[in-house]
Amino acid sequence: MANTLLSLAEKTFIVHGVDDNYRTDGRNRSEYRPMEVETKVLPHTSGSARLRLANTDILVGVKAEVDTPYPDNPNEGKLEFFVDCSANATPAFEGKGGDNLGTEISNTLTLAYQSSHVLDLTTLCILPQQKCWKLYVDVLILQCDGNLFDAVALAVKAALYSAQIPKVTTATLDGGKADIQLSDDPFDCVKLDVGSFPVLVTLCKNFTFIQIGENCVVDPTSEEEECSAASIVVAVMPNGRITSVVKTGYGSLQPSTLVKTLELAKDIGIKLNAGIMNALKEEDELGSQREIFGFLK
Amino acid sequence: MPFDQKRINGPEVSVPYSVYTDVNKSKSSKPKKSLHKRVDGREHKDLRKIFVKTGVISQAKGSAYIEVGITKVVCSVFDPREIPNKNEYSLQGELFCEFKYAPFACAKRRIHQQDAEEKEFSLVMQRSLEPAVCRQEFPNFQVDVYALVLDNGGSSLAAAIMCASLALADASVPMFGLVTAVSAGFYKDTMFLDLTVEEEVLCNSAPAKPNPPNNHGLIMQAALPQHDQISEFFLVGSINIDCIKQAIETLTVANKNICPVVQQCLVKTVLRALKRKEQEKN
Amino acid sequence: MNDEDMIRVRLAVHRTNTNLSNGDHGMPRYYTPGEEVCSQPDFMRGHGTYMDDNDTLRASVAGVLEKVNKLISVKPLKARYQGEIGDVIVGRITELQQKRWKVDTNSKLDSALLLSSVNLPGGELRRRSAEDEQTMRRYLQEGDLICAEVQNVFADGSLSLHTRVLKYGKLSQGILLKVPPSLIKRKKVHFHNLLIGANLILGNNGYVWIGASIHNTDRTEGGFAQDLSRIPQQDREMCARLRNCILALARSNILLTDTSVIYAYDESTKYSANELLQPEAALDVALLTQQRLGERID
Repeated sequence: MANTLLSLAEKTFIVHGVDDNYRTDGRNRSEYRPMEVETKVLPHTSGSARLRLANTDILVGVKAEVDTPYPDNPNEGKLEFFVDCSANATPAFEGKGGDNLGTEISNTLTLAYQSSHVLDLTTLCILPQQKCWKLYVDVLILQCDGNLFDAVALAVKAALYSAQIPKVTTATLDGGKADIQLSDDPFDCVKLDVGSFPVLVTLCKNFTFIQIGENCVVDPTSEEEECSAASIVVAVMPNGRITSVVKTGYGSLQPSTLVKTLELAKDIGIKLNAGIMNALKEEDELGSQREIFGFLK
Repeated sequence: MPFDQKRINGPEVSVPYSVYTDVNKSKSSKPKKSLHKRVDGREHKDLRKIFVKTGVISQAKGSAYIEVGITKVVCSVFDPREIPNKNEYSLQGELFCEFKYAPFACAKRRIHQQDAEEKEFSLVMQRSLEPAVCRQEFPNFQVDVYALVLDNGGSSLAAAIMCASLALADASVPMFGLVTAVSAGFYKDTMFLDLTVEEEVLCNSAPAKPNPPNNHGLIMQAALPQHDQISEFFLVGSINIDCIKQAIETLTVANKNICPVVQQCLVKTVLRALKRKEQEKN
Repeated sequence: MNDEDMIRVRLAVHRTNTNLSNGDHGMPRYYTPGEEVCSQPDFMRGHGTYMDDNDTLRASVAGVLEKVNKLISVKPLKARYQGEIGDVIVGRITELQQKRWKVDTNSKLDSALLLSSVNLPGGELRRRSAEDEQTMRRYLQEGDLICAEVQNVFADGSLSLHTRVLKYGKLSQGILLKVPPSLIKRKKVHFHNLLIGANLILGNNGYVWIGASIHNTDRTEGGFAQDLSRIPQQDREMCARLRNCILALARSNILLTDTSVIYAYDESTKYSANELLQPEAALDVALLTQQRLGERID
């Protein structure tokens, strides 16, 4: 991640603050910074969203294309994540600099969406063994100010929520060749059921320098990330089930701490899921004539 | 390991013939059977037999070979070298891990380039081993760890991690402790330890009835059993929190049980080396 | 789940505009790069402008026009810091070199702090030995924050700093904020011991330091000792509030002085410190501060 230099005294200040449950910006340990979401910002995509979490800025576009299913899973569609760490965010991402981070995030997303409880890929199948939908989820990191994983997962969920896949009117096998036709009415489309899509919750742990027990913080700023040796990224479904756990950073944890962290992540994940769904429904109620702000104002 | 990024692999044209066998026939009966008794006759919480050996590759600074059931992994560690393509001075040394399946290791043929899964596993390996290595001892240098799965009989990631930790110890890289790793899987309410390939496939697929949601998924836990620390926890699937708690407990115990095996192997290595030295003296 | 506990996600339609435009003055004339400023030949070319082949003066940066007698310059709104001798700056050590530290000061080039221009333990008249050179990292290492004065500006614009007065030196616990340097007014005093008990350094280079430890360490040992003790909760709250107030002012482009910061701090008391992260609260505080500043001038 983008390297933030901090002096020992600054780190001490941050770490003590975490211990006192009063962080440098006045938040407590389990509080998120203000975030803002907007969907349908990109007209060329099937679905899109832009999410800002303080100064972390994520843009996601979903494109649906027709593909052939994998021979081992002939009844399933495909879902692919690609995370691009744009050099706009920091010059360190230039060239291949952001590749590692991008792969890490896209891998984590892939794992989080892998279970068929989350997204049943058979719903994306058009004709078994012949045609299926492939959803490309392209994530662009425009700015990073800490807590990329959470922000990216929220933006992805919002973008998938807004995604509209054209309805297939006819799908037949004609002499061994697949023949499909899509509805030409742009409003006649299928929406994905995001009801069980997970969000990622990052819990920053193990503030080195001073050993201070089992505290962990959500929504770390980049300064706080710099102070932490290990974080746990947990994918939580709206019903509280956990679909993936990944540890990042170079530290290790005790088993009891890990259990507590996972429980905390579950609680926060449920709230976060509710938060994003509320916002998306509220936006839906504004109707199709809603003004798109994008990057203005 | 710098690999050729510009090379574009053509689309895969061949498919394994197993696709054309009758899918319904083979799949339907299996899950129920293995829920009661596992195919290889183990109890659900039994581990397979482990065989470890160090010094299998003479060219490498350190190397190790591990066999867990039919899973076979060989791992080599090379001398620290300066971190390539880096300008800034880093106080902590780095660990570079590569996890690779041999082309013939799995049912399906693997190409020689790392695919997404292998890349992910490499990262998991790196994160599991990093907390164990005294990285401050070789600032600005990196140690390369290559793990090659010769035969995948399930839990190859866990085996590779243990093998790598042994290889690091064999290479005399300073470490805080040994790393062990065990995998577990959930299918409905049954927890399996030390999975075989079939069990991995089973746990990866969701149970047919989605309501009420049933557990399914894979967990890999790497630990430093001597310090009671978890160095990596990797979970995929859909599992509720109570089952995860239960799994952490079981896996922590299992990790502690494996540790003596690895220790013993290292002691043997040292004894062997001492003997050789004595012979040279005489 | 109670209401406070919920995580709220805002919508873009409710986005607040944090730009305060002072409506009564109107917008100043704004020049864009390449735009003609003046075609008469008897003016002098200042910063931010260039002369083209036809002797027309054109702007090279986006900003407002400044005219001093015959000197015309365009002052960019968002620029890196341009140092002047005597400026108080806050900076971060980025690199150690022979006999000098490299310091990030938000200026175009890295600044240098020479080993000979810091106070080393043992008094003013101490000679710098070769040993000092080898143990420079003991005094200041990468990442450390310092407060210093600009001693000299070189021809290429890079700065040479010194910390030979006791009030300068290494900074201890606190928060560093980065704001555009144009928001910092050049004043006589940049060190403020606010009545509320914080010490604030408004560096000319746009780096603002909120110091948390009040009992100021004795600087006789060169001020390299750091106070790593635990900060009381009360001071911590104050620092967080100050931080959010200063960011609110900076976001609404209000000049930062000790007065404006204190006003904002006073006005913000109706919110809790973490509420100030919300854009509405931040805007409210900025508006109230601007009003109070306006009243004072009248």
